[in-house]
Amino acid sequence: MKSLYEPGTQDLMQAVAKEASQLKGSDRRDFLRKGLAVAAGVTAGAATPAIAKGNSADMAPNVPSWTKQLGRGVVARPYGRPSDFTDLQRRTVPWLTASPESSISFSPLQDLKGIITPSGLHFERYHGGIPEVPPESYQLMVHGLVDRPLIFTLEDLMRMPSVTEVRFIECPANGGMEWKGAQMEALQFTHGMISCSEWTGVRLSTLLEYVGVKPEGKWVLAEGSDAAGMSRSIPIEKALDDALICYAQNGEPLRPEQGFPVRLMNPGWEGNTSVKWLRRLEVGDKPWYHREETSKYTDLMPDGRSRKFTFVQETNSVVTNPCPENPIKQKGFIEIEGLAWSGRGSIKAVDLSFDGGVTWRKAELKGLVIPKALTRFSFKTEWNGEPWMIQSRAIDDTGYVQPTLAQLREERGTNSIYHKNSIHTWNVHANGEVHNVQIT
Amino acid sequence: MFKLPSALMAAALLCVGPAMAADFGRPATEAEIAGWDIDIRPDGQGLPVGGGTAEQGEPVYEAKCAMCHGSFGEGVDRWPVLAGGEDSLTEDKPEKTVGSYWPYASTLWDYIHRAMPYTAPQSLTDDEVYQITAYVLYLNDLVEYDWELNQDTFVEVEMPNQDSFFVDNRPDVVNTRCFENCADPAALQVVGTIGGVSPTGHFKEDSGVASSHYGDDAPTDEGEAVAVALSADAIAGEATYQQACLACHGSGIAGAPKVGVKDQWTQRVAQGLSTMVEHAIQGYQGENGYMPPKGGHMNLSDEAVAQAVSFMAESSQ
Ligand code: HEC
Ligand code: HEC
Repeated sequence: MKSLYEPGTQDLMQAVAKEASQLKGSDRRDFLRKGLAVAAGVTAGAATPAIAKGNSADMAPNVPSWTKQLGRGVVARPYGRPSDFTDLQRRTVPWLTASPESSISFSPLQDLKGIITPSGLHFERYHGGIPEVPPESYQLMVHGLVDRPLIFTLEDLMRMPSVTEVRFIECPANGGMEWKGAQMEALQFTHGMISCSEWTGVRLSTLLEYVGVKPEGKWVLAEGSDAAGMSRSIPIEKALDDALICYAQNGEPLRPEQGFPVRLMNPGWEGNTSVKWLRRLEVGDKPWYHREETSKYTDLMPDGRSRKFTFVQETNSVVTNPCPENPIKQKGFIEIEGLAWSGRGSIKAVDLSFDGGVTWRKAELKGLVIPKALTRFSFKTEWNGEPWMIQSRAIDDTGYVQPTLAQLREERGTNSIYHKNSIHTWNVHANGEVHNVQIT
Repeated sequence: MFKLPSALMAAALLCVGPAMAADFGRPATEAEIAGWDIDIRPDGQGLPVGGGTAEQGEPVYEAKCAMCHGSFGEGVDRWPVLAGGEDSLTEDKPEKTVGSYWPYASTLWDYIHRAMPYTAPQSLTDDEVYQITAYVLYLNDLVEYDWELNQDTFVEVEMPNQDSFFVDNRPDVVNTRCFENCADPAALQVVGTIGGVSPTGHFKEDSGVASSHYGDDAPTDEGEAVAVALSADAIAGEATYQQACLACHGSGIAGAPKVGVKDQWTQRVAQGLSTMVEHAIQGYQGENGYMPPKGGHMNLSDEAVAQAVSFMAESSQ
């Protein structure tokens, strides 16, 4: 490999491309990425940023090699996949959990545009691995305090009147590693336990009306068929409001990681309640107080007492450009972008501060603004090497203003793990690097 | 205005909508419901007839739980702690266990029955669940060693933290939408990261910040990974290993030979690959412990298991 470093950049790129062509699939992608990084490192000093760093043989005035030959034909990949030149990945932090079957992976928010998370990049969280459920064996049992206990097949569910909605799902532990201090030097890890998809399915209210809930029915137990037998008690008000029994995500059947073939989806509520691989709904008169609503997903307060049934994901936001993974590479124009969301409704406004919260300016909302969905914001400005303490502050249509970290800590201490939705700070250095900091 | 024939009218009123007039689903039989309805409530609803003492539970717990949760419920490595932590909830590093935190004993019965042991959920008999539940309560000083837990005595168990939970009262903080002079610039303190975990750089493991949602503190000893050249089979087997075998073979729990530790594998490798593969597919009781068929993942193909064995053996040379 050493000889690779000796020739000029252009030769280097060719050598990288040649070596890469002998590898396949993900190896090649990985290799190309590393090779490109090496090449970029070599040129950084000499080239000005505006000049593309590719192979000049393929760049103007030369006619690129791909122009002079036929490309791949249709259905070479019946199910398409991302370009080999891209490398978007969910990532995990191995030491967070004892085993990968009960663990978490984070969405690469730093690489995404718009508000929809590609299905393959939706963050993952499960407690007993991903079960492989054959759709022909799939059954949803609905029983308890109902007039007609029924079992539905996947076909039954798909034949019922359906709705399609864009909604986020967020793990309530998103940001939870940072109650005591900034810890993650990456947006992917500070905020990546949120994703947003277009979901299709049957309203739970439709299903419950169909089976007939008895008047004493006040809670619904939702249970998964995974090895964790994930179970949560859902108040009947939510069940009859906007909860969905989903079988499709972004136009196609749910991904296995997202509960194929059927999951529950409680818009705006902590992700854990949106039980995946849903097998059973039981209507009862009281909550069940299962492990995921007692030992976990309760919020310990400084006085030693704990909040329970902390369902809603409160208003939150974060700047995605710049961020630690997206440093500022060039002085001059920059479009600051970010994401905001509220489990209570729609984002009404987002404000930005560049000085750590002393003064604030209004950002624009960009693209679709949908309740309980990710909402993108934008602010066009210039950067000329001055240090920034950049923060975003979201306001939702209930009038709730995203709080500061100091306000949250004052009220909740630092041991509540879940629901940390405070204003986040990125520190932009004079060289364009971005670091995760907290302002107290 | 049109006049509908009255029979049609009645039909229209009865239906939720035209589409819902169709029949969806079929009645669930009592036997079907009984097979799946496993949930237990704090008032004891759902508990099956049965019972057991901590004394009876001890050997079962030792055989099926202690390798992860420790003989005293103290938790091995990063596996969850089940006992201890009394009066720690207001401390800097609270320890939330069955004894110190859980509000209801029913939760313990329900959870052990539905999800434990981790690698073989829903494999315990009802009596075993009573016995082990009694034992975990005993480890938390909540019941006597020879006291029988059953569907009737259940309500006698008092959980110390039961009254400490209150219903969500958020929004609990009120921020205002200020634009000028919102903070005193001189008073702002900027604190950087403690650990510095980034997806591009190396993970720094000794962050010093508890992430108790996920288990214990981040461990500080990483163990140097040694690069070895792997065969094609072994490379293909890595994913299966990660998914189905790592739970035991990564940490060496339950007597499983730990991957990467050469002397735990030398003799096994000497038996020949086919013997190891057969053991891995069929399962066997060895001198050190029980290797479940396919690691408990019966959906794996024989080939995938064989590849995982290659990966494990080659990574341990
Ligand atoms: C292979 C390791 C392993 C074995 C064996 C095992 N467990 Fe677990 N146990 C776990 C893991 C991992 C979790 C956490 C699962 C999650 O993340 O949801 C857990 C969680 C628990 C919890 C909940 C802890 C909490 O604080 O919420 C209890 C109680 C428990 N186990 C009891 C048992 C009992 C009883 C047995 C034996 C019948 C057993 N476990 C066997 C790995 C194991
Ligand atoms: C629940 C824990 C557990 C899981 C999961 C598990 N193993 Fe094991 N395995 C064991 C134990 C315990 C032994 C040692 C038994 C003995 O020799 O005493 C073992 C031994 C082995 C051996 C050595 C066999 C021999 O002949 O010496 C192989 C190979 C093996 N396991 C492969 C696998 C593979 C492949 C998987 C995943 C598909 C897997 N194991 C998952 C517990 C486990």
